[in-house]
Amino acid sequence: MKGAIVLLAVLLVASAASILIGEVPLGLGDLWQGMIGGGGPGALTVRVIRAPRAAVALGAGAALGLSGAAFQTLLRNPLAAPDLLGFTSGAGLAILLSLTLGLTLPLPLVGAAGGLATAVLVAVLAHRQGRGLVPITVILVGIGTGFTISAFGTLLMTRLPGAEAAEAQRWLTGSLAARDWGQAMQVWCVGGALAALLALQGRALDLLSLGDDLAAGLGLRVGRARLGVAATGVGLAAAGVAVAGPVPFVALMAGPLGARLTGARGVRGRLMAAAGAGAAVTLLADLASRVALPGIQLPIGVFTGVLGAPYLLWRLSREMEKGEL
Amino acid sequence: MIDTTLSADRLTLGYGDRHVLEDLSLTLPSGRVTAILGPNGCGKSTLLKAFARLIRPLAGRVTLAGRDLHRQDTKALARRLAILPQAPLAPDGITVGDLVKRGRAPWRGLLSPWTRADVEACAAALEAVAMKGLADRPLAELSGGQRQRAWLALVLAQATPLLLLDEPTTFLDLPHQIEVLSLLRRRNRDAGTTVVSVLHDLNLAARFCDHLVLLGSDGAVAQGAPDAVLTAEHLDQAFGLRALVQPDPVTGTPLVIPL
Repeated sequence: MKGAIVLLAVLLVASAASILIGEVPLGLGDLWQGMIGGGGPGALTVRVIRAPRAAVALGAGAALGLSGAAFQTLLRNPLAAPDLLGFTSGAGLAILLSLTLGLTLPLPLVGAAGGLATAVLVAVLAHRQGRGLVPITVILVGIGTGFTISAFGTLLMTRLPGAEAAEAQRWLTGSLAARDWGQAMQVWCVGGALAALLALQGRALDLLSLGDDLAAGLGLRVGRARLGVAATGVGLAAAGVAVAGPVPFVALMAGPLGARLTGARGVRGRLMAAAGAGAAVTLLADLASRVALPGIQLPIGVFTGVLGAPYLLWRLSREMEKGEL
Repeated sequence: MIDTTLSADRLTLGYGDRHVLEDLSLTLPSGRVTAILGPNGCGKSTLLKAFARLIRPLAGRVTLAGRDLHRQDTKALARRLAILPQAPLAPDGITVGDLVKRGRAPWRGLLSPWTRADVEACAAALEAVAMKGLADRPLAELSGGQRQRAWLALVLAQATPLLLLDEPTTFLDLPHQIEVLSLLRRRNRDAGTTVVSVLHDLNLAARFCDHLVLLGSDGAVAQGAPDAVLTAEHLDQAFGLRALVQPDPVTGTPLVIPL
């Protein structure tokens, strides 16, 4: 409970900070003016530039965090996150392809298609006759697939004219630059609907965490339940990617970080904590990327990477100690 | 009394091309305590999994009260048949009380609230395993014997007339083995629950069970009452073990003394 309040407080402070801090310094007065719809250049900066960007960061971070926690619970492995498994890269590449080809399809759908295609590819490649899907095999195959997809994306980008190439970068490494309220609404609505769907599968996740045999004995259709959670997880990852690009490591870190912060035990509590932690990490990383070097906006992925890469190394060493790698 | 007779009808079980059991037919009587015995790798656990519809037969069928297991609704079946696997997974940090609550899953709908029947079933299950005071304790903090009793409470809370257990006494010391088996025996006596478990200890099986199924490397060697099944000849057939079988001086059930 105390941890949940701390997490909420972090989210509030981070939201206020990311609206106030930037190239044009603003005061609390501007924040208030902006929120109640008042006038002035400060209020405009709040309403048009920074608030939608913060809203997109919160929504995308929460969606990625939820997706990560869903896959980590499903595969019972802290390394099983959609960014490490290549699903977010797949979603990003699909969006980049559809934009390059000039298709006008809804980006979350395109992203979901790319994410699902990657998930199916990883599952097929990792499947071993007689043993099914072993989490660690899935993860290693996923990492390889993710690299391959990124390489394709980079290749595609080099073929594009300058201006488009800069925009294409978003779908390879993630970016929160130039976001508007439409995108914020999109990620909140799509993400919210999918989060509700995931919450409905909370009981199934509870049972799956007891092992497949006991879950089946308790009346769960295990195969169907797994597919349902995986599809929802891919959808959530795609919802985040569609507005922010495949920001790396957020999905990987959010679950364990949220659980550590809030001490949540049940599946639903952990999912909520992961959403909160994902939102906080994304917001703070975006803020850091804007203010770290004056006058230059670094990609947000640089900062999630600064946090995420050491975490990943630490996690890997833990898994090796346990003898699971 | 609900009929909980489990039958295997010309059953072939295995994984891929490897057949573990072939053309096996047997019946586990309703309202009794049955043990499945046999050497390592003879397919005891595989057979139990087939009876719990966790694996599909390669050929033949498994029936509960005459109806094919795989043609029944999973949830409806989970209200009649519970299975405790050999190594269930414990979610991180779960308490005994929360673990036991999960046994109520087959009785609940997607959004249905926690009912009085659920509360009572969980309380009764904790009572049955003498763990009422430990509901708030994390499972990880308990001793091996207590942990096994907590898992038993989960399947007892499922409130099924038929209970299957895969090696429920493995990794327990002798007093805890006896504790678990007495508990199952009591459940059978008080609630009429049909109990089927895979066991290793022949003498304990003879003492606590009404019906034994002895498997060898080529399928069933014998089935029936303990004194009919545990004979020197059958033991030699199933295990390649030379043994003397005498009446247990305490209970009169067969006592296997390896030679």
